[in-house]
Amino acid sequence: MRMRRIGVCLAVAACAALGTPAVTGVGAPQAHAADSKVLRVAVTTAVASLNPFLAYHQADTEIGRMMYEFLTAYDQTDQHPVPGLAESWQVGTDKLTWTFKIRQGMKWSDDKPITAKDVAFTYNLMLTNAVARTANGNFVSNFDTVTAPDDTTLVVRTKQPQATMLALDVPIVPEHVWASKVDKLVNYTNLDFPVVGSGPFTLVDYKPDQYVKLKANPNFWRGKATVDEVDFYHYDNTDAAAQALIKGDVDLVSKLTAAQFDTLKGKDGITTNKAVGRRFNDLIINPGAQTNTRQPIGDGNPALRDVKLRQAIAQAIDAKTLVDKSYGGYAEPGSSYIPPVFSKWSTNQQRTFDLAAANRTLDEAGYRKGPDGKRLDKEGKPLTLRLIGDSGQPTDNPNGQYLKSWLGQLGIPVDVQLVSGDKLGDVTTAGNYDLSFSTWGVNPDPDAVLTLQTCAALPDAEGKSGTTETFTCDEQYDQLYKAQLSELDEGKRVQEVKQAQQRLAELATSVTFAYPDQLEAYRSDRFSSFAVQPNPGGVITGQNGYWGYYKAVPAAAGTSSGVTPTGLVIGIVVAVVVVAGVVLLVVSRRRKSTADERE
Amino acid sequence: MTNALSPEVVEPTRGAGRGTLRYVATKVGGALVSLVLVVVLGFFLFRVLPGDPVKTITRDAPVDPARLAELRAQLGLDDPLPVQFLRYLGGLLRGDLGQSYNYRQPVLDLILDRVGPTLLLVGTATVIAAALGLWLGVRGGWRRGSRFDRASTGIALLLWSAPTFWLGMVLLTVTGTLFPSQGIIDPATPPGLLPQALDLLHHLALPCLTLVAVIYAQYLLVMRSSLLEEMNADYLTTARAKGLRDDLVRRRHAVPNALLPTVTLIFLNLGMVVSGAVTVETVFSWPGLGQLTFKAINSRDLPLLQGTFIVLAGAVLVMNLVADLLYRVIDPRVRAA
Amino acid sequence: MTSTTPAAITWRRRRAAAATVWRQFLRDRGGVIGLAVLVLIIGLALLAPVLTDAAGLDPTQATGGRLQPPSGTYLLGTDELGRSVLLQLWWGARISLLVGVLATLVSVGIGTLFGVATAHFGGWVAAVLTRATDFFLVLPSLVLAIALSTVLDRGIFAIVLAIGVTSWPTTARLVRAQTLSVESRPYIERAWALGAGHLHVIGRHVLPAVLPLVFANTTLTVASSIIAESTLSFLGLGDPSAASWGTMLNSAMLSGAVTFGAWWYLLPPGLAIAVIVLAFMVCGRALESVLNPRLRER
Repeated sequence: MRMRRIGVCLAVAACAALGTPAVTGVGAPQAHAADSKVLRVAVTTAVASLNPFLAYHQADTEIGRMMYEFLTAYDQTDQHPVPGLAESWQVGTDKLTWTFKIRQGMKWSDDKPITAKDVAFTYNLMLTNAVARTANGNFVSNFDTVTAPDDTTLVVRTKQPQATMLALDVPIVPEHVWASKVDKLVNYTNLDFPVVGSGPFTLVDYKPDQYVKLKANPNFWRGKATVDEVDFYHYDNTDAAAQALIKGDVDLVSKLTAAQFDTLKGKDGITTNKAVGRRFNDLIINPGAQTNTRQPIGDGNPALRDVKLRQAIAQAIDAKTLVDKSYGGYAEPGSSYIPPVFSKWSTNQQRTFDLAAANRTLDEAGYRKGPDGKRLDKEGKPLTLRLIGDSGQPTDNPNGQYLKSWLGQLGIPVDVQLVSGDKLGDVTTAGNYDLSFSTWGVNPDPDAVLTLQTCAALPDAEGKSGTTETFTCDEQYDQLYKAQLSELDEGKRVQEVKQAQQRLAELATSVTFAYPDQLEAYRSDRFSSFAVQPNPGGVITGQNGYWGYYKAVPAAAGTSSGVTPTGLVIGIVVAVVVVAGVVLLVVSRRRKSTADERE
Repeated sequence: MTNALSPEVVEPTRGAGRGTLRYVATKVGGALVSLVLVVVLGFFLFRVLPGDPVKTITRDAPVDPARLAELRAQLGLDDPLPVQFLRYLGGLLRGDLGQSYNYRQPVLDLILDRVGPTLLLVGTATVIAAALGLWLGVRGGWRRGSRFDRASTGIALLLWSAPTFWLGMVLLTVTGTLFPSQGIIDPATPPGLLPQALDLLHHLALPCLTLVAVIYAQYLLVMRSSLLEEMNADYLTTARAKGLRDDLVRRRHAVPNALLPTVTLIFLNLGMVVSGAVTVETVFSWPGLGQLTFKAINSRDLPLLQGTFIVLAGAVLVMNLVADLLYRVIDPRVRAA
Repeated sequence: MTSTTPAAITWRRRRAAAATVWRQFLRDRGGVIGLAVLVLIIGLALLAPVLTDAAGLDPTQATGGRLQPPSGTYLLGTDELGRSVLLQLWWGARISLLVGVLATLVSVGIGTLFGVATAHFGGWVAAVLTRATDFFLVLPSLVLAIALSTVLDRGIFAIVLAIGVTSWPTTARLVRAQTLSVESRPYIERAWALGAGHLHVIGRHVLPAVLPLVFANTTLTVASSIIAESTLSFLGLGDPSAASWGTMLNSAMLSGAVTFGAWWYLLPPGLAIAVIVLAFMVCGRALESVLNPRLRER
C-alpha cells in the first residue's frame, strides 16, 4: 500500500515538473507572435527544389519568385509588364537589340550591390551551361549575346525579333554567390541559409515536405514587406489544410474544393476569396497523331481526322451545364483558348451548345445513322469513340458522363475511361486516344500556350520530347504563331494572337469548356486584406508575382493566437498521461511483487 | 495487407540435426539472395511504370522540345537500360543511391532525413500496441470466455477491420482543434528541449493512436492463443499442484513461455508496419519514409523510388532474419529440433 | 445409396466430415453472426440491380444538391455531385466484394500452387520456390501493389492483380506446412508404395486434406484484400467510374467532405468496410478453429 501511495506522489510530482515550465513557456511565443507578423500559408503541392535553375513545380517557382526579382515583373492590377530589376528598356531599330536600364542602388540581401553584371552572369550561365537551362532555358533559346557594358546597362541581342522580351520569367542570381557553384550546379540545393536573394523575402529555413520559412528582405528595392515572415506549411491534402485554417494553424489556404469553400464561407474569422482562374480545361480530339517527321503514331480513330466530325463534337458540349454541375458553379464556362482573365489576348468567342446543329453537321458530312440509330463512319462501320480522363481530377468523371450522354444523343457511343495522371500522359503522348481531357495554365504572355499547338511541338521520330497538347499541325496556324512571336507592335500582335485562336477553334482539336475558379480562404482575424492579381477578382496565391505575400496587411492588435497555448496544453496532457501510465505500471508491478513475496 | 492474424506466421524450422552455425548461415545466405533480388527488382519494376519522368518533372512549366531532350540527357535517361542498370549497381556498391529527379538532392540524404520520423512513429506505436496487446491478451486468455475477454477481443478485431486511413480521418475530425493535422514539429515552437519535445508529442499523438488501434489486435490474439496453448501444458498442472496461487502461475510460468511467438511476431511485423505507415503518414502529412515513397511513385522519381524500395524491403528482410535467429535463441525446443 | 465403390465411400466420408464441420461451426456464436451478416450483405449486393436503379449513379442524372445531409429522400444524404450516398454504398458493395473475392482467388491460387509444390517436390525445386516465397514475403506489398496498379490499365482488374500478386506468400507458407504434415502420414506412403504418381498423390490425397484449411484461410484473405482494395483506392488508384467503398472515401476526401462535416459521406463507407471485414474475419477464425484441431481450444 505504501508503495502505491509513493507512486501517486511520484506521478503528481512528474505532472507538476512537466507542467510548470511548459505553462510558463506558453507566454513567450505568444508575446513573440504579437510583435513579429508571421503569415502562415498552407501548400498542398510538393516543394521539390529551390535551386532556381532547376525548379519546375508551381510551388517551387512561386517561392523562387519571392526570393529573386526578375528583370521585369507583372503588374498587380492587369498583369502588363512593369519594371523589376530593370527600370526602363528600349528596342533598337533592328528589332533585335534590347537595352535594359538596371536601377541604381539596389542591394542583395547580403548588402552587396545588384548590378547589370549579375543579370548578364545569369543569362550567360544559361547560354553556356545546359544544367542552368533546365527550368527556364526556353526564355533564352533565341538569345544571341548578353552583355553588361556598365553596372546599369544590360544589352541583349536576339537571333530573331522576339515579342516576349518583357516576359522573361528568369530569376536573376547574385554572381558573387553563384560563380563558385557553376561546376556543380546539378547537385547544388541552394540551401545555404539565409539564401542571398533580391526579392521581397529571404529563404531562411526549409525542411522537405514539412515547411519553408522566409523572412522579409529589408533590402528589397520596393521596400520591406508588410509582414516579417512567411512560412509555408506542407499538407498532403487540401482537406487537412482547410482543417488547419479552421483551427488557426495557418492563415491562408488555396486550391480549395467547392465543398470546402462553402464551409469556410460561413466561419467566423475567415474570409473567402473566389478568384478567376488562369487555367483552361479542354477536351482534346485526336486529329491523327504524328511525329515531327510526319510519321503517323498511335491508334486514334481515323474518322476524327475529319474536321466536320470534330466540329460537331464541339457543338455538342454544353459548357454551362458542366460548370454548374461538375464544378459546382465555381468555374467560368469555357469558350476561347486563352482565358478571359487575360482580356487583352482572349477572343472571348462564345460557342453555342446546339445538339440539333451538331446532328445536322454530321448528316451533311455524310455520317449516316444505322438501323439502331448509331452513326456509321464514312466506311460504313459503326462509329464509337474512347474518352480518356484523369482519375485524380474530381471533375473528369462527371464531365465524362455528360459528354457520353450528349454524344450519345448524336448517335456516337462513347466509352469513358479514367486512368492515373501519368498513364494519361503516356496515352496522350503516344497518340493512343480518340478524346481526352486536358488542362493547362496560361501565363500573362500567351506565347507559351500558343506553342503547344504548333508543328514544332510534335514529338521526335522516336515519339519523345514532344510538347504538343493536341497533335495539331496546321500551316495557317503556324504562320500566325510565328508572326505574333516576332511582332513587336503590341496592337498587331494582339490581332495575330486572336486570329491564331480563331484558327484553332475552326480546327476543333481542342475544345475549351471551363476555366475553374481558384478558391482561397484566409484568417481575417489575423490578416485584414491581401493584394489580389488581377485586381479586382484575382488570386492571392499562385500569382505571376509576389504581390499577395508582399502586401499582406496584418489585422490590427488583438490577434487571436490562442492556438499555440492550446497546443502546448494538449502536449502537456499527452505527456502527463504517458508518464502517469508508465509510473502506474511500474508501481503496480512493484506492489504485486511485494504481495508475492508476502505469500 | 497484413495477414498475420493467425499464429501460423512463425514457422518452426524443420529438419533435425542441423547445427546452429549451419542454421545461421542458411538464414543469412537466404536473406542475402533476397536482398540481391530486391536490388534487381527495384531497378526494373519502376522502369516499366507509365509516365515519362521528364514530362512529370516539367508538368507545371511550359518547355520546348529541345529542353526536354536536354533534361533527358542530363538525367541519363537516354542511355540503354543495361548501361543505366550498371551505373545504378556501381553507385549502390559505393553507397550512392543516386540523385532524386525531383528534390535534386542525394537520395540517401532524403531517406536518412525520413527514417527518424518513421521510426519514431512506428516504434512508439509498436511498443504501445505490443504492451497493450500482450496485457489484454494475457488477461483475456487467462479467463477465456469471460465478458472482458469477449469485449476486448471484439473491440480489437473491429479496430483491426477498419481501414487505417479512415480511422485516421475520423480521429482527425472527431478531435477537432485539439491536435495539429500536419507534420512532426511546428517551426514556431520555441527552441529548448521541453517545448520541442511537447510539440513533438502533440503531433505524434494522433498518428500513433491510429496505428496502435489498427495493429494491437495482432499482439492480443497471438498472445491470447499462445497462452491458451500453454494453459493445457502439464507443467502448469504441476505448478498448480504445488499450491501456487493462480496469478503467480500465470505470471511466472504460463506468460513467459507464451511470450515466445509474440516476440518474434513483433519483429516480423515491424518491417510490415513500416511500409504500412504509408497511409497514416499520408493522412497526417507525417514526413516519413512512407510519405516519401508515395510521393516518389506519384512523381516518377525513379532513383528515389529505388532507394525507398530497397530500404523498405531491406528493413523487412533484416527484421525477418532477426525474428528467425531470435526464435532459435529464445526457444530451446527449436534449438533441439 | 449403398454403393461401395471407393469414390462413393470417399464422398460419403467427406459429406459426413462436412456435416461435422458445419455442426461445430454452428456452435461458434461469433462465426454464425458473421456468416449471417455476410449472407445479408452479399445478398443485397447481388440484388442491387433488382432493388435499385443504377441510373442514380450517373452524375448526369443526379437530382440532389451537393452534400445534402440525410433526409427522407436521401437516407444517407448526397455526395459532391448530388448522388445518393446510400445508393453508392449499395453498389459499392458489389465492387468491394468482387475485388476482394477475385483478388483472393488469385492470391490463394498462387499460394496453394507454390505451397503444395514446395512441400511435395523437395530438392532444388523446393529450394527455389521457398526462396521465391521468402522474397515476396519481404517485399513491401503496399508499395509493390501501388506500382503494379499504376503499370496495369486502370480498372478493377488492375487492383485485383496488384493485391493477388502481392498477398499470396502467407497462403503459400500455410499450405506448405500443412502439405508437409499430410505427406508424412502413413497412407500417403502407402499410396507411393502402390505406385501412385505425383498427380494422383497431390490431386487425390494432398489437396483434399489441405483444401479445408485453405478455405478457412481464404475467408481471412478476403478480409485483408478488401482492406487492401480500400487502401489502394483511397490513395487514388481506384476507378471512379466503378466506385468501391475505398473509392467513395477517396472522393469524399478529394471533395472536402471532412471539412464540410459531411459525416454521412465519410462514416458509412468506412463502417461498411469494417463490418464486412470483421464478418469475414470471424467466419474465417471460426472455420479455422473447427478445421484445425490445434486451434480448437481457442
